[in-house]
Amino acid sequence: MLHIALATIAAAGALCVAASGAAAAAPAKHTVTIADMRYEPAVLTVKKGDSVTFVNKDIFPHTATAAGQFDSRTIEPQRKWTFRAMRAGEFPYICTLHPNMKGTLKVE
Amino acid sequence: MKATRILFAVLVAASGAAFAQAPNDAQIAHIVVTANQVDIDAGKVAETHGQSAEVKAFGKQMVTDHTAVNKQATALVTKLKVKPEDNPTSQSLKSGGDANVKHLKTLKGAAFDKAYVDQEVTYHQQVLDAIDKTLIPNAKNAELKALIEKVRPAIDGHLQHAKQLQAKLGK
Repeated sequence: MLHIALATIAAAGALCVAASGAAAAAPAKHTVTIADMRYEPAVLTVKKGDSVTFVNKDIFPHTATAAGQFDSRTIEPQRKWTFRAMRAGEFPYICTLHPNMKGTLKVE
Repeated sequence: MKATRILFAVLVAASGAAFAQAPNDAQIAHIVVTANQVDIDAGKVAETHGQSAEVKAFGKQMVTDHTAVNKQATALVTKLKVKPEDNPTSQSLKSGGDANVKHLKTLKGAAFDKAYVDQEVTYHQQVLDAIDKTLIPNAKNAELKALIEKVRPAIDGHLQHAKQLQAKLGK
């Protein structure tokens, strides 16, 4: 019985190592939720090559627009938009439909 | 200017004075729908009569956003089986809105843009006050209150947006 338990723990350990190794190599996926006229999180830091998905959970259409960098165009309610952050830098963005909505994407 | 003053008076009334007693949920639901409709009506005029692309786009956005709110409000009252009840505040909102639209239609070009945007600043500020002072404090049903609370950031956002446009037009 003890042997089986030990073997299980060892196997689980091996799996964890494998999983974390894979995560470091693959680009991460991030989500920014749009609700109640806000981006959540308002400031998001990602690594170059990661993907960022903006999910519009509001009842209004929104955009995520960093002039000259990225532009989701209109994301209707209950829709989403994904892009890959390929350039490093700090990109403030707004909703062009509601310009008081502000967020920042930091790409390292 | 006259229309703005009428609307201002109406909204001051909406923020409390028109009610001898606090509005009930059926009246609050009616005020919500009417307040949205008034801004939809003005937005439609801006889409066709606005001079600058930004003012037209703002008007279009008001139509989109306030229509979305009214869709939610209508779905909620249907679910709650509440029949929106006409009341003096709704009636004043409607007549003030109609007067404003009539006034706007007499204007053209930059004069239209200025009058529309000035009125949008005033309107959203007063709706925000009505939400905070009358509608949220008096709403009894939790879902109705939640809906109004959910709409508040949009009204605030529209106000900030309208103020940005106002500052630009003033230059």
